[in-house]
Order: sequence, then C-alpha cells, then structure tokens
Amino acid sequence: MVFSYNWLQSFFKKNLPKPERLAEILTLYFAEVEEIKKVGKDFILDIDIRPNRAPDCFSHLGIAREISAILNYKLQISDCKFIEEKKIKTKNLIDLEVKNVQDCPRYTARVIFDVKIGPSPRWLAERLEVCGLRPINNVVDITNYVMLETGQPLHAFDLDKISKRKIIVRRAKNGEKISTLDEKEYELNSDILVIADAVGPLAIAGIKGGKKAEIDRKTKNIVLESANFDRSLIRNGSNSIKLKTDASLRFDHGLDPNLTEPAINQTAFLIKKNTGGKIAKGLIDFYSKKTLPQKIKLDVAYVERLLGVKIPQNRIKSILKRLGFNIMSISTRQIILQVPTRRLDVSIQEDLIEEIGRIHGYDKIPFKSPVVSLIPPKKNFEIIWEDMVKNVLKEIGFTEVYNYSFIKESDAKNLGYKKQELIEIENPTSLEFQYLRPSLIPNLLKNVQENQPNFEKIKIFEVGKIFKIEDSKILEKKMITGLINGDAFFDLKGVLDSLFQKLGISQFFYDEFKPTPEESKISIWHPKKIAEIKFDSQEIGFLGQISKRTLNKFEIKKDLTIFDVDFEKIQKYCTEETLYQPLSKYPAAVRDIAVLVPRNTRVEEVLNKVENVSPLIKDIDLFDFYEGEGIPEGKKNFAFHIIYQAKDHPISSKEIEETQSRIIEVLEKNPEWEVRKR
Amino acid sequence: MELEKVKENILKDIEKVKDLKGLDEIYRKYLSQKGEISLVFENLKNLEREKRIKVGKEANELKNFLEDLLTKKKIEIEDRIQREIEEKEWLDITLPVKKIEVGHLHPLTQVKKKVEDIFQAMGFEVVEGPEIETERYNFDALNIPKEHPARDMWDTLWLRSDNVQCLLLRTHTSPVQVRYMEKNQPPLRIIVPGNVYRHEATDVSHEFQLCQAEGLMVGKDISVANFKAVIREFLKNFFGKEIKIRLKPDFFPFTEPSFDVSMNCLVCDGKGCPACKKSGWLEIAGAGMVHPNVFKNSGLNPKDWQGWAFGFGLDRLAMMKFKIGDIRLFRSGDLRFLQQF
Repeated sequence: MVFSYNWLQSFFKKNLPKPERLAEILTLYFAEVEEIKKVGKDFILDIDIRPNRAPDCFSHLGIAREISAILNYKLQISDCKFIEEKKIKTKNLIDLEVKNVQDCPRYTARVIFDVKIGPSPRWLAERLEVCGLRPINNVVDITNYVMLETGQPLHAFDLDKISKRKIIVRRAKNGEKISTLDEKEYELNSDILVIADAVGPLAIAGIKGGKKAEIDRKTKNIVLESANFDRSLIRNGSNSIKLKTDASLRFDHGLDPNLTEPAINQTAFLIKKNTGGKIAKGLIDFYSKKTLPQKIKLDVAYVERLLGVKIPQNRIKSILKRLGFNIMSISTRQIILQVPTRRLDVSIQEDLIEEIGRIHGYDKIPFKSPVVSLIPPKKNFEIIWEDMVKNVLKEIGFTEVYNYSFIKESDAKNLGYKKQELIEIENPTSLEFQYLRPSLIPNLLKNVQENQPNFEKIKIFEVGKIFKIEDSKILEKKMITGLINGDAFFDLKGVLDSLFQKLGISQFFYDEFKPTPEESKISIWHPKKIAEIKFDSQEIGFLGQISKRTLNKFEIKKDLTIFDVDFEKIQKYCTEETLYQPLSKYPAAVRDIAVLVPRNTRVEEVLNKVENVSPLIKDIDLFDFYEGEGIPEGKKNFAFHIIYQAKDHPISSKEIEETQSRIIEVLEKNPEWEVRKR
Repeated sequence: MELEKVKENILKDIEKVKDLKGLDEIYRKYLSQKGEISLVFENLKNLEREKRIKVGKEANELKNFLEDLLTKKKIEIEDRIQREIEEKEWLDITLPVKKIEVGHLHPLTQVKKKVEDIFQAMGFEVVEGPEIETERYNFDALNIPKEHPARDMWDTLWLRSDNVQCLLLRTHTSPVQVRYMEKNQPPLRIIVPGNVYRHEATDVSHEFQLCQAEGLMVGKDISVANFKAVIREFLKNFFGKEIKIRLKPDFFPFTEPSFDVSMNCLVCDGKGCPACKKSGWLEIAGAGMVHPNVFKNSGLNPKDWQGWAFGFGLDRLAMMKFKIGDIRLFRSGDLRFLQQF
C-alpha cells in the first residue's frame, strides 16, 4: 500500500528523517518498505503492511502513529471541530434501520445540506493523486481523503435520491440487481449486505456505491455513511461478485467500530469547510454494543524469558505508552494495561511482547546458544535409506532428477490410468498439472524425450512421492524409479543387485510377471521383458523394458529399461548391519560344466539344482550362454564355472570329482537336460 | 699382494664401464670359471695352510666387494638407460580426457542434505510429513482460521473431492509442527524438509512447487536470543563463513512475535547490488515464537512450553549457493543443468 511522505510529515512538527532513512526505519521496526518513488514534490513509500496490522495501519494516521512510537516524535492531530445547524435535526431528515446487528455492528450517518459540488481544492486532489486515486468531486474526494487518512471507508449518498429518505441495512435478495458507480451491473445474493432505501439497493455495503443515489453536479443535500460491517461478510461478498475495492480491502481485514465517529466528523468538517454545506444537528448512531478496550496482564519475567534479553521496566513502559497502550497498574512483576480498540491484532501477552521486542529493536537481542541436554537426535532411518539409495545410484553413474508432482490428462491416458485412480486438482495452475502423478514413470519418460537430442546415453533416477486412489483411499508413497536408455535389462538388473546389496537386502528375487489379460492390454511394459521384483513373495517393484507403443506415444527413439521400486516396502528390509564372513585359509578350485537345455529354461532353474548339491560349492558363475549354430534346434547351452572351497580343509581332487559327478547326475535327472562332456 | 693388484684393476675397470655389456665383461674377467678371482681360489690348494686361510679370506672379501660393486653399477646403468628412453618419450597432456561415467545428485538434494547434517549435528531430529494435507493441519491448527484475510498469504492448490473433508497440497511444512507435537512431548528439536505447493504463476524467481525446510525448537525457556544464535550458526556452517543476520518484524498467524531473517548479501557483501535490491540484505527465512494457540492445538499447555519455529526455501538457498538465476531449472529435468552438480 502506498503512502505519501508529505502527508505523513503533516502529522509532525519535527522534520521526519529523509525518505530513504524513514523507509529503513519502518522496515526495521514496523513493516517492509518495498519501494520509494519521487512523485512531484512528494515521495511515495510502498509499505508491505501485514494483514494483522491492516485494521489500524491501512491509513496515514496509522503509519504516523508507528513513526511516532519508533522515533518518539509527538503526533499532532488537527482539530476538526465544527458547528452544527441548531434547528435542523439529522433524525428528522433520514431514517435508519439495521436489520441485523451481527452484519453491521455500527452505522453512523450525518446529513449535510446546501453543499456546492465542484472540484476539490488542489492540495487535496494532489494527495489523492499521489496515492493513486483519481479526484472526482469535492464530496467524494473528501470521503476518500478521510479513508486514506484514518482507514475508515466512508460513503456519500444524494439525500434527495433516497426513496422515502430511509436507509435500510439488509441482506440482498437472491437475484436482486444493482448498478454501481462505474456503470456495471451486479447480481446479488443473500450472502451480500446492501444499503438500501425503501425501493432497492443504493450500495453494496462496504464494497461499492450504487448509481441510484450518486453524488452529481446537481446534488444539494447529502447523507454521509461511516459504518462498521462484519468482516467475513464483506470478504465473502466481495469474493462472490469478484469485486475488490479500497473499501472492501479495509473492511475485510476488520476495523475498529469506534473509528466511524471521528472519521465521519472529520469528513463533515472538511465538507462544510470546502463546499459551504451545513451540518444537520446530531449524529445518527446505531451502535448496539460498544466495543471497549481489552485488558491484558503482562508478566514482566515472561518478556525476558521469551525474547532472551532483559529490557528495563522503564523502557517497557515507555514503549507501551508510545504505542498508545493505557497502563493501568504497574509492579515489578506485572503490568496491567488497556489495549486501544484500534489494535485488533493485540489480544494476548505474546502480542505485547512482539510490540516491545520490535520497538526495542530485534538487533538488541543477543545471540545466546540454548542450554539443552547433550543428546544425539533420533535417527530417521527413512532419510538414511533414501540418502543411501541416492548415493549408490549416483556412484553407479545415474543423474538424479526432480520432476513436478503432477501430470496432464493425456499422460494419464497414455499410461492407461483410469480416472477413478487419479487425484485431481480442483484449481490447477495449468492443464499440464491437472492430476497428481500416480507414478514417477510418466515424467521420467518426458525427461528422456527432452534430453535425447542432447544425450546419447541417458541414466536417470528420481526418488519422490506418488499419489493415487486405492480402494477409495488416498495413497501417498515414496518410490524409487530409474532408467537407462537402450536395451539395458541386465545392466539395470545389475544396478538393482548392487543397490539392494548396499541396503543390506539379500532375500530378494526376480519373478516372471504374469499380468492379467486386463493389465496386459494397458501395460506400459514389454509383455515378455519384464520381471517382478519380490521379497518374501511380496511384490516390491518391477524391472523391465517399456513397450514400443508407449515409447511412440512419448516420442522416444531408443529402447528404454526402467526399474520402479516401492521405497516404503523396501526400507522395512534395509539394515545397517554387515556381518564379516571369515576368509577361507584354503585355496579354491574351479571346474567347468556345460549343460544343453531347452530354449525356455531359465538359468535360475539350473543354478538352483546345482547350488544344493554340496556345501563345497562356494559359487557358480554363468560364463557363457549360447544358442544357434552347432546347437540342436530348440536348445541352448549354458556353461558354468563351479568354484569349490571348504572352510576347514584343503579340498581334495577326489572330493571335487565326486561332487562334479553328483552335479551331472542331478542335472540329468531332467530328461531334457544334457550335460556336455568334453 | 696379488689380490691388492686385482682390486686396483677392478676399480679401474668399473670406472671405465659404460653399459651392461661392459659389466658382463668385468664379471667374466674376474668371476667366471676362468676369472682372475676364481683362479685365486683355484690356487688355494697349492698354498700352505696358514697362507691358504689368509688368502682365502681376502679372496672372499674381494669377491663380495666386486659383486656389490657390480650390482650397484648395474642399477646405475639401468636407471640411466631408462631415463634416456623416457626422455625420448612424450605425452600431449592437453589431449581430451577419456570420459568416465559419474552420476550426479540433484542440487536440491545436496542442499537438503547439508541443511539436515548441520541441524542434526546440533541435535535436531529430521522428520517428514505428508504432502497431501487436511485443512485442519495446514491452516486451522496453525491459527489461520477460515475466512481470515491471513489465509490469502497462502494461495492453495485444492484436491477435487466429493468428501466433506477438504484436502489440499500443503502450502508449507509447518503442519508437521502440529503433527509432531501431538505425538512427542517437549523438549524437542526437529528439522522438516519437504515439498510444498502454491497456486502461483511461475517465472525466474517463482515456482508453484518448492522444497522447504521447517525448524522447530521447544523447551521451557527457548527464546528469540536462542533462535538468533542457532540460525547464525547454521548459516555460518552452510556458507562456510561468518554471516551477519538481521531480524525484521513480520507476521505469521502461527508465531508471536514473528519476524523474518535476512542475511548479508553474498553477491555484494552487503554493499548493495541488484540481487539484494540495493539493501545489502537478503531475506531467507520467516520465523517466530510458536503461538500459544499452536501449542493448544497440538495438545500442549502453552503455559508449560515456549519455543521458536522457522521456515525457509531450499530452492532459494540452492540458488544463492550455486548462483542459479532461474528457479524453474530445478524441475526442468535438463541433464545439461543437472550434470553440472
């Protein structure tokens, strides 16, 4: 909100610091001054007033009060005394009816007659212009001027245009219409408050004046309104018709009901002075329950305990006084005080401590290390494992990416997600981000698509949350997903082996994935090049190649292999413990064996058979795998190194020969398997 | 006497030798079967006992002496030859490297880790919370009632739902304050990293998805002075040098008093530059003393506890640390950017 430097100066006899310096002071002790701009002979300060201080500081007077408190300058408020007409009584000129006290806690009105509408005096027009308001005519300008000065929005109606000279504060009827001063028409509803006459609405209360009782060049007699409306009502009303004004901004942040009276009097004074109007006798004041100053007990020791600095009691007292708090009693332990009703933001001790702290100066608070017990923080294993995953993948040459947590509708469709599985954003920033991502894969595919012109080889991963609906519940969980472009199934399988090994997970295996016909229709995976990663027969993720169809949809040129692992499932099996296996003192021996098996036999089937033959078999390595020329049709050849080693004795060739024979025997139990003797 | 002579000759010969072949000749001359020293041994049997012992001993010493000499000389010659070969060799050390594939952690991961490490070293526990939040945790429990203009400070992304309960994407990590205090009795110290979301248009310095870190410390007498010390210590460790900090009044519904934290601008060292809008200061965090209502809403008695909370953007911290000019790069997935870290 912008404020005029000269206007602020008008509240003080003493010269204010230069605009730049004043801005610095306000920033340090009150609220940030975002910009200073020279306008003619004046400067404007753009101050970011936080919503808690709107009630008393959306006004020049409010800022002046702050300056007065910070700099300890005496504030001067100009005298607005005026003489009312003796014979003409306001209450005989206008009737007021407020339908609901909650909607409108206070309504004050005055009547001024015989005004001469014309342009405003220059000084006034200039002040409005500096603050960004367009001068209209003397009466309207004065109401705006008083709003900028005091924070109280005011409105002037042409008395002679008000039917039956009756003002009613009531809710609008559904569908009721009003034409506003700016020639727009609004359709209202019962959640909107209006100022009406006997016939229809004259103004949208607290938001915008209507055309009907507009002040124009012919206006002679006016009704001034200075009221206090329920802030939520104004806020919802202005939201529902999408109309925000200087008035609604102030009302929806809340205002002091006690402000209406001085504001209307100042307005009347200025109008009388500048338009020659006469002020009817008496103030119409609907004010059913007067707002009284609140009392707060301030525990002096708590001030020191919370701020961490001892502030002498005299200083505390002086700060509170300068801010307008009325000190009722004071002892070494406690200060009892009254809060001015304009300070809607102060209701508890902590609010006062903030006032004391900031005016005293946060820079005067020392740096003091807390005194706490020396205990190490509890370890968060989820974070430890997540870091471990990221580090291992980085070490294996992967680059970590961060993607947005959102996808667009066509991505969801391309990957076969159904609408009822997805979480939709009510108010997305763009249709690109309409749904929460149900998987990390779609955005990773985009990464590949976008990077493929610049990079031959792409190895990326992401650790992040996915969101979907499962069994009509919202599911949010962390996944680890990575990919290598090209035909890289076994590279990625190796990556997973290393990853799981580093995480201390040993009991996992790869199982063939058998999708239901339903799943296979929509699957993004190559139907035959996909493995289910399992632990304890529970699925913890997938490893496989992406189907050509999916690649085409994402315009990806090369093949792509992806792993997609449920982090929450695997982290339960992670362990920090590593047990050392003693090294055997005895040498190992290696023998080879080759087996001819049908083409669809998995190497694991063979390995499982061999492994169980003898404890002397320390390891088995598949070192060759061949099908084609020289091998019978429909068969393939596996060649293994069998590594023999005993823990407790040097292994003898006799033991080895015996075990080799047993292996052959076991393998050849399967009539389709044939051990190839050399 | 004869041996003295032999030794003299040996020394002369060794002096002259230039290559391995020469050494071989010396060996042959003295130590081969027909060599001069071998001949001395050969002749021993013709000497009388006493002389035999004396000459034998001397011959042995001479033999060892020569052998040592030959070994030393051999090493000397070999070294020289090797050096001569190497002198002729040459490597163009400016040829391009052989690419070694290394991975890269995202800059935000690196910054997050550093933040976690520093706070953990000061006894803070790292805690996470859900990104989908209820209106209660994100707003109400944090003393931000519905229809209060303070809610306008957070433009929110809401989830479409038929349920009565309104769900949203958390606009800050602060809900975890309440979630944690509901389950854990103070004294406590936590640091909460995580994603937050805002309904906001993006540009070089604005993002609608951000990484934030929240800190919370609660005890019997935890004060603003303690906050100043801890945050300064953190910044000093994070940037690796002394950092000046400054608190300014601010407003957050869930802290009272509230302030924001600025540090001296590292670009201009506090002199004033475009990065700090000529103020010499950069705002880095919002903070304050936990509002009594937040304690109440977490099931704690505000009379028993006090403490502070703060929140800052990891994106912003990373931008400052790595001098990144466009916040949108973080989630661009562009490997040309990511592989610089």
